[in-house]
Amino acid sequence: MEEHIRQIAIYGKGGIGKSTTTQNLTAGLAERGKNVMVVGCDPKADSTRLLLGTLAQKTVLDTLREEGDEIELSSIMREGFHGIKCVESGGPEPGVGCAGRGIITSIGLLEQQGAYTDDLDYVFYDVLGDVVCGGFAMPMREGKAREIYIVASGEMMALYAANNISKGIAKYAKKSGVRLGGIICNSRNVDREIDLLKAFSKELGTQLIYFVPRNNVVQRAEINRKTVIEYEPKSTQADEYRKLASAIDQNDMFTIPTPMTQERLEEILLEYGLMDALKDNYNI
Amino acid sequence: MPALNEMIEQPRFSCAIGALQSVVAIPRAVPILHSGPGCGDMVSGFFERSKGYAGGDTSPCTNFNEKDVVFGGSEKLRKIIKNTYKVLDTDLQVVLTGCTGGIVGDDIESVVQEFQDAGKPIVSVDTPGFKCNNYVSHSHVVKAIIDQYVSLYEEDNKTRSDRKLVNLFASIPYQDPFWKGNLREYKRLLEGLGLKVNVLFGPDSGGVTEWQTIPKANFNILVSPWYGKPITDHLKRLYGQETYWFHSVPIGANETEKFLEGVLDFAALQKADIDRKKAEAFIKHETDRYYEEIDNLATFLLEFRYGLPRYAHILHDAGYVVGMSKFLLHETGVVPKEVFVVDNTPEKYREQIEKDLASTSDKRTIPVFFEADAGEAQETIKQADHKGRGIILGSGWDKSLAKEKNCDFLSVAVPSPVRLVLTTNYVGFSGGLRLIEDIYQTALHTYG
Repeated sequence: MEEHIRQIAIYGKGGIGKSTTTQNLTAGLAERGKNVMVVGCDPKADSTRLLLGTLAQKTVLDTLREEGDEIELSSIMREGFHGIKCVESGGPEPGVGCAGRGIITSIGLLEQQGAYTDDLDYVFYDVLGDVVCGGFAMPMREGKAREIYIVASGEMMALYAANNISKGIAKYAKKSGVRLGGIICNSRNVDREIDLLKAFSKELGTQLIYFVPRNNVVQRAEINRKTVIEYEPKSTQADEYRKLASAIDQNDMFTIPTPMTQERLEEILLEYGLMDALKDNYNI
Repeated sequence: MPALNEMIEQPRFSCAIGALQSVVAIPRAVPILHSGPGCGDMVSGFFERSKGYAGGDTSPCTNFNEKDVVFGGSEKLRKIIKNTYKVLDTDLQVVLTGCTGGIVGDDIESVVQEFQDAGKPIVSVDTPGFKCNNYVSHSHVVKAIIDQYVSLYEEDNKTRSDRKLVNLFASIPYQDPFWKGNLREYKRLLEGLGLKVNVLFGPDSGGVTEWQTIPKANFNILVSPWYGKPITDHLKRLYGQETYWFHSVPIGANETEKFLEGVLDFAALQKADIDRKKAEAFIKHETDRYYEEIDNLATFLLEFRYGLPRYAHILHDAGYVVGMSKFLLHETGVVPKEVFVVDNTPEKYREQIEKDLASTSDKRTIPVFFEADAGEAQETIKQADHKGRGIILGSGWDKSLAKEKNCDFLSVAVPSPVRLVLTTNYVGFSGGLRLIEDIYQTALHTYG
């Protein structure tokens, strides 16, 4: 694999907006003239929908199932917005087989088939929810992604997941050289969210690389199967994603995270009043 | 089990899926492996000459591959079961899962259920290799057959309706290289007492129809220090059958008499309606025949006393280690020195086994090591220093150690590429005589 390709994996709690963020961010990079490939590592195969304008993409594992491992790259890779190369790993139907192994298998196949070409500047892996087993840690292993960004918000479970993912990164950092590039906040408009995220990032030994504000245009763009950059290129939200793209393009802070104990995490949450807010929410 | 990440050398057992051989041992039964192709191959390599009707690497197998890991292998299993019916005419099919199917979490039970619903005599057992060894999974296989197959015939086999019938759980097929001969001898002896016996495995069993009668038995006989215990516990729960538990392998007259007398006492308690006088006469007849041979041997033993083995090391499962130790000391005069239980005995049974072994003699202590790592056992033997001629009773893997130690060697355990066993038995009166023959034959072979 070519050393100059920046390989980046995006992790984060399920439903936090990893796919939306990744696609808007890569759209921003593509606008800047970068050659990008997005590899969806989620059995649902919906990581490239906004870039392609459609869901109907044959996944790597579909091809493996139907045709064996002599796959043609052209049958699984499609070009989307601004020439972004889109691949979906795919996976078994829910409840059977092993999705984790599916990711290992499909990344292996992509390598074999020479998907990582010299002209690429970026490869992004959009990985499902928590790192529940070795398969979902595949993108951060030796020779794959060197940079990880975690998408989080000011909600407790999102931070809890981010902390957990950091444990995985810290583990692999020793062997594979993977580093945490920062936390991307996909805002949920929680009280003092930005302060909390900054404090959390600092404790984790990393940075809050960008704070993406909440904006309903994201939902409208999604319904239209487009990134915000394509759907409303002149909107302020499109600019936010462009700035996120720029922050990542220029990022030079890569660290081995220092995950915290559950107690410390809760302390930080208390400090920023999140616990109070939670309590209030349950006052019916 | 050794702690995680701890390596052991030379395990003398196989992983859980090795219990496929217990299926092979049931006449006209077939194991179906939901595993990689290497599993059957590994098992047949370990046990040697073990294929039976369709065993080891000739078992039907789903050849679990990468695609099956990712997408699940249930469909492939369904296909291999269907095809097995086309190719083999069998009375019982037992599906065993390997590691990959176990990790992926294939729902084999529901696949097998489809065939059960269609009236097929088919059973599924979860035997991923990481779960346990084959001493343990043997019980899982037997319990699965009882729960999923035998239970279908309970109507015609009323619980404990045959007072003279017993279920015997003793040698584990193939793991005990003498299983076939042993089961035959147990059956002969117990029938000599006036009982009827379900031996369940081997050519002397009545195949699946015999299995169907398990509930009818009055009680169970368990000859084992620990393996097989879950089966008799299960039968107690299901059918209220009590168990006569003899803790070691009875070899030679002393232990066989004790075993048979114990069975008789227990049978009386269970109201088995045995003619005790006739049974005692049978035991006496057998004993006399045994001592006739020992008498004949006396002059030979005297003349050869300096040229025969004086001490022995044993590497075997707990049942044999205790049984052979008792036999050697009391009936051959060969003194057991360091002996090794290599079956990975669960902790809770060890004390009882030690006690049982200690009861062998109040003058001598036999040092016993529970050592699943037979490489470690060999190291201990290498360091040991005893006077006189020694013999090592172990698996074929101990042959070179015996050579190194200048000891005689007799292969009595798996794996053994250096001995062919067909119908030889080591249990009972005749088994004791055979073991004497084998030990002295080995020694005599070095003369002339």
